[in-house]
Amino acid sequence: MNMATEQTAPETQTPRHAKGKRPDFYATEGMDEAMSMIMVLASEFCTMRDRMDTIEKIVSDNGIDLESEIDRYTPTPESLNQREERRQSFFDRLFYVTQKKALEQATDDSGERYQDVLRDTAKG
Amino acid sequence: MNQNIFQQAPHDLLPVGNHDDRMRQEFSKSFRQYIQNGLLPGLTPVFEGRVTRTFQKEHGRPPADRHDIRKAMVTDPYFQTYASSTRIAQELLWSSVIDPLERDLGPLTEKAETLSTQSPAMLKTSEDFDVPRYVSAIDIHCMPGGYASSRSDKDIFAGALYDRGVYLYAMGYMGPDNDDMGRSVCNYIKRNLPEFAPETILDMGCTIGHSTLPFKEEFPDAEVTGIDVAGPCIRYAHARAAAKELNVGFLQENAEETSFADQSFDLIVSHILLHETSGKAMPRIFDECYRLLKPGGYMIHADLPPFGKMGPFMQFILDNETYYNNEPFWGAMREIDQIKLASDAGFAPGTIRFDTAPMAVMELSEAEQAALTDREFVAGEYAPGGGWEVLIAQKGKTE
Repeated sequence: MNMATEQTAPETQTPRHAKGKRPDFYATEGMDEAMSMIMVLASEFCTMRDRMDTIEKIVSDNGIDLESEIDRYTPTPESLNQREERRQSFFDRLFYVTQKKALEQATDDSGERYQDVLRDTAKG
Repeated sequence: MNQNIFQQAPHDLLPVGNHDDRMRQEFSKSFRQYIQNGLLPGLTPVFEGRVTRTFQKEHGRPPADRHDIRKAMVTDPYFQTYASSTRIAQELLWSSVIDPLERDLGPLTEKAETLSTQSPAMLKTSEDFDVPRYVSAIDIHCMPGGYASSRSDKDIFAGALYDRGVYLYAMGYMGPDNDDMGRSVCNYIKRNLPEFAPETILDMGCTIGHSTLPFKEEFPDAEVTGIDVAGPCIRYAHARAAAKELNVGFLQENAEETSFADQSFDLIVSHILLHETSGKAMPRIFDECYRLLKPGGYMIHADLPPFGKMGPFMQFILDNETYYNNEPFWGAMREIDQIKLASDAGFAPGTIRFDTAPMAVMELSEAEQAALTDREFVAGEYAPGGGWEVLIAQKGKTE
């Protein structure tokens, strides 16, 4: 095993990907990314629905006419910035697998390395 | 269908985050539930039908073992979606915890340090510690950063991530305190070894001490110690125990070769540790258990059953973890003759056996259970059969 292929996370960066080659599940190129994107979207969709549900319950408990308030609302520059940041971090999650594949390329994390680890760890 | 909706017990160090973080976490947990209830059952008819027919046509015989089954299944589109969904659920799960953890890591780290400083229990970690390669080479169960990567001598990132992540992974079936395995082993001891009153207890590969703490609760007079190779987990475990006001020591040690003296413990336990070690480490761990036990002491390792205890299709389902969830030793470990390993280590053959410790969370009164869970266990799911497999062995009384 070439120790130069060992990954070490940069000191200050939060790890977002797990070390170890990600398997391909589908024969069709791009399908694995697509499935991940779909499920991330589904997660955001559910999260948003849950949030709206929370908002509706709280607001109605407080007797506010939310519908007209929403129609009247104009976002401030600060709120526009927040939304932009939120959308960009959403794209990070959406392209999770694509990022992982780039990282594997960049760090030489391969199926061969994974098999090596399997073999080494199983050795009695 | 009724779903398991009970929540993890809050404590000072748990990274749960804001409303949307929590809902993303809930989504990953619900997705796992759906995969087990909605997708897993479909694998059986797919395998018994078209997959077996195709294999038969190509090989002139039905698939014989889990390797045959795997070769036949990986090209099937239903299996591909099942396996891909399982992987994505795992990735969503960790991401949903990393988001709030990244934001709150500073204050959480400070809180952990304060809690640890106030605790009388022993804490030992070292930045020079030699983490074995079977833990560092691949991030086990796809947890980004793995157990042991440490950014400072105060870092608790991996521990905090694991605490919330394991609750989501187990879909709550580890109990509100993630302590079901430890609790189940304690129950097993009290029922099957009623005369045994351990005064010194060691939990090997304790991670964040979630399985360790029930031993202090059930044997309050005992001196309880947890060891693990991962510094960030040990620091988190120590602070977490302090938050729960339990006096349990946590030390960064390798179970293959610890710094404890011979005959230091009455009871040595481990919980889902062995499948995260290696073929070389396992016999060394058994030898070390033997060395550390007092005469008449017990070693109990809780894990999932060895492959010999299930059919090839069930083996195949379990073995997916090896290939798709960064668990390099998961499959190989289940083929090792653990009875022989224990015997080779010195344990008297007559005392070594596998047994089932019923899951504590499934044994609560009906009303208590209804408050926690409302769902049957079937083979192939998380903790199949509603019990943990325990390997138990006793050291001779006249060593």
